[in-house]
Amino acid sequence: MKYKDYYKILGVARDASADDIKKAYRKLARKYHPDVSKEKNAEESFKEVSEAYETLRDPEKRAAFDQLGSHAAGQEFRPPPDWSQHFASGSPFDQMGQNAFDDIDLADLLAGLTGRARGRSGGRAGAREGPIPGPDYEAMVRITLEQAFHGTEIDLDLSVAEYDERGVAHRVPHRIKVRIPKGVIDGQKLRVPGKGGKGMQGASPGDLYLDIQVQPHPLFRTSGQDLYVDLPLAPWEAVLGTSVELPTLAGAVSLKVPASTRAGQQLRLAGRGLSRPGGKSGDLFAIVAIVVPTVVNERERSLYRELSESSNFDPRAHFKLGAAA
Amino acid sequence: MNIDTAEALSLDENSEVSFSQLLVLSGLSDNDLRELVDHGALTPINPNASSWMFTSYCVVVARKASRLSRDFELDAHAVSVLLGFVEKIEALESELHALRAGALGHGLAGTSDTVSR
Repeated sequence: MKYKDYYKILGVARDASADDIKKAYRKLARKYHPDVSKEKNAEESFKEVSEAYETLRDPEKRAAFDQLGSHAAGQEFRPPPDWSQHFASGSPFDQMGQNAFDDIDLADLLAGLTGRARGRSGGRAGAREGPIPGPDYEAMVRITLEQAFHGTEIDLDLSVAEYDERGVAHRVPHRIKVRIPKGVIDGQKLRVPGKGGKGMQGASPGDLYLDIQVQPHPLFRTSGQDLYVDLPLAPWEAVLGTSVELPTLAGAVSLKVPASTRAGQQLRLAGRGLSRPGGKSGDLFAIVAIVVPTVVNERERSLYRELSESSNFDPRAHFKLGAAA
Repeated sequence: MNIDTAEALSLDENSEVSFSQLLVLSGLSDNDLRELVDHGALTPINPNASSWMFTSYCVVVARKASRLSRDFELDAHAVSVLLGFVEKIEALESELHALRAGALGHGLAGTSDTVSR
């Protein structure tokens, strides 16, 4: 069992009052709660803070925790020889030999002392008597834009709590294969029914909730189900019109660029975006950028000069209108 | 060993859940869920019906409400206010993301459909 220094996590002294512990928790909850925080690793940090508070706010659990002794954070340790007898009597951990604690999670141990299992919705406790629904699990899943477009199957490796016949939770690795439907977008939430923790005494298992993160793509940008790609054109292509090969997530297509296409214009390829569930797909927009060559030969320079002398085009005509007003 | 592949279901505006399903999936009490509807944090598809139905996206909102209530020790009214702010932030982030993608255009240029093969 790995040690976690709950006092250090909350930033309080070992003799801190209940009030100090509450204040410290509130401050850290505001900083790290995943629904309101933008800190890196907020979810992991909040999980630690939450576990620390759940233990230290309860006088019984706090006393039991204090008697585990003080160790370095992350250090493997076992409770003192008579700890179970004093603090775990009547709980699933009663009469457990010291080496039986090796694959137990500290938070599960302390939660189990009051006969409460960590239940659904991220730890809502319920009384041990009667069926207890299995806990829900949450996982962040990073996929590429190509995987989002086509749909994909992913393997998830989770560390889950499995209860033995005594009701003691043991952390075991668990691999789940999940099919992600096509058309998911960054930030979307998915639910995998029944793939959470096992229920106890005949209750249903929990669910697995996935938080989708779509990795940035070198070419395409997304907005909902729509895709955007920059389309560089040479000046003569924009003026005269042309046909270009445009990459899409389903393979390259030929795109007709009309004559007199302007910079910033969005050329729409209907239905070439991400799928919408039960509906038509989003679109792909090619955003025109007119780019000029940085190196020109003498003939090109001469042609540009001839063009500038023979054209009446004034791209800054509106400056004069603005100045006159 | 073969591992069965589980289907992940999108939680969005395109599928529905009942009030009782939302209760089970969120971990909220009947009273708490009704209060969130009363305070406008959750909106049934059919508010005048005797059995409310919700979009499955409401599962995301309800679970968030459950977490906020538990973790910040807030009542339903405070959670509803907080959810309102979170929703506003998410809408702004979405608009910012769309701007960066180029979705909101450049003002001078229009959009034209183009035939492609």
